[in-house]
Amino acid sequence: MAEKNVTDPSNVSDLTPTSEYISHHLTNLTYGWCEKSESWGFAYHQQTIFPESPCKVTEMGFWAFHIDTIFMSSILGVIFFGFFGLAIRAAKLGVPGKIQNFAEYVFEFISKAVSTNFHGTSKIIGPLAFTSCIWILAWNLMDLLPVELTNFAGTAGTGFDYFKVLPTADVNAPLALALVVMFFVTYYTIANHGLGGFLKEFINPIELVGYFSKHVALALRLYGNLFAGEMIFILIGIMFGQFLMSFGQTLWFFPGLIMNLAWALFHILIIALQAYIFMMLTIAYINLACAKH
Amino acid sequence: MNVNATFFAELLAFSIFIFITYRYLWPSFSSILDARREEISKGLEAASESQKKLEEAEDSSRKMIEDAKNEASSLINQAGSRGDQIVEEAKTQATEEQLKIKSAAEADIEQNVTKAKENLKQEVSALVLAGAAKILEKEVNAESNKQIIDDLIKEL
Repeated sequence: MAEKNVTDPSNVSDLTPTSEYISHHLTNLTYGWCEKSESWGFAYHQQTIFPESPCKVTEMGFWAFHIDTIFMSSILGVIFFGFFGLAIRAAKLGVPGKIQNFAEYVFEFISKAVSTNFHGTSKIIGPLAFTSCIWILAWNLMDLLPVELTNFAGTAGTGFDYFKVLPTADVNAPLALALVVMFFVTYYTIANHGLGGFLKEFINPIELVGYFSKHVALALRLYGNLFAGEMIFILIGIMFGQFLMSFGQTLWFFPGLIMNLAWALFHILIIALQAYIFMMLTIAYINLACAKH
Repeated sequence: MNVNATFFAELLAFSIFIFITYRYLWPSFSSILDARREEISKGLEAASESQKKLEEAEDSSRKMIEDAKNEASSLINQAGSRGDQIVEEAKTQATEEQLKIKSAAEADIEQNVTKAKENLKQEVSALVLAGAAKILEKEVNAESNKQIIDDLIKEL
């Protein structure tokens, strides 16, 4: 699966297939600006459908888009918010159906979390909490797809050899969420305490570090958890391969299967928990911004 | 972990989804839930009210049944006494009728008896007359002996 990516012959060692495997799994499908050819294009040897640029992923600068992250996060958003949109569109006031019941349960869960933890007045906090929680949950659920799935899809002729289905494991996505949260925290701090009140927080310059690190930590907490989870899945996937190579065929398939299953079951907890934590911290930060002190 | 322009795309996507949630999803969810909450509280109120009404209705129905029972028993009593009365009346009427019929029959009998007696007297007198004529072997003048015959009849 990683043969196409063997580009550096000087790096040949016993670990090459393993590290290639890992890096293949951690590389996004990238479309960006290539300095060498001075043009936009997909990174070198990542897919076979669209024209590609001579630049490899590592050679692209800041102006690069992770197409897989953008595509997956958008499509998941459309599916999940579309589900809620359809549920509320078909909703009726009387006895709700099963889907409506579920959608209302989720809404009430988040709305209750907001109302018990947020004591100010804000119209955006509810939608913000709802959007972040549902969207992150949708992203994280992609972690339960087999790590090999996209490789199979790539080798089966879809043309995309690189495709990360998990948007959370791309730091850009959580960072974007955290920046939006930071924007609203700043907005509510200034709205409630005035610009002077906002600036007064930074009399001690160390507070400035805290102010940014709080939000960066919000993003990195989510990113780190899911990235690590994905990594463990990849390592278990490597174990499958190693076992198959060294001990011959099916015998070691089962321990790998059990490990994979165990980690997946444990990971379900992390998936839901991280989405919940992000939402709760968003509420807590904005509550803090609105609090009188 | 490489931060690049993907960040802006995600920022845009997140903003769009927040806007959609803010504009459409959140208000429609909260409005429908508020409406249902109101409906449920109304329903509960109506339920307690109707419970009260039910109790009232039960009370009144119990009272009605009691009244009806009383009325029915009094009616039964009345009917019983009326029936007795009717039977009694019928009895007396029947007795009266019986007496009337009996007396009429008696009068009739008496009349018949008198009539028969009269007839008998006539016949006897005729027979006596005929007998006497035969005995005397001569025509008895009925006119001349009328006095005697009448006296005879009277004696019969």
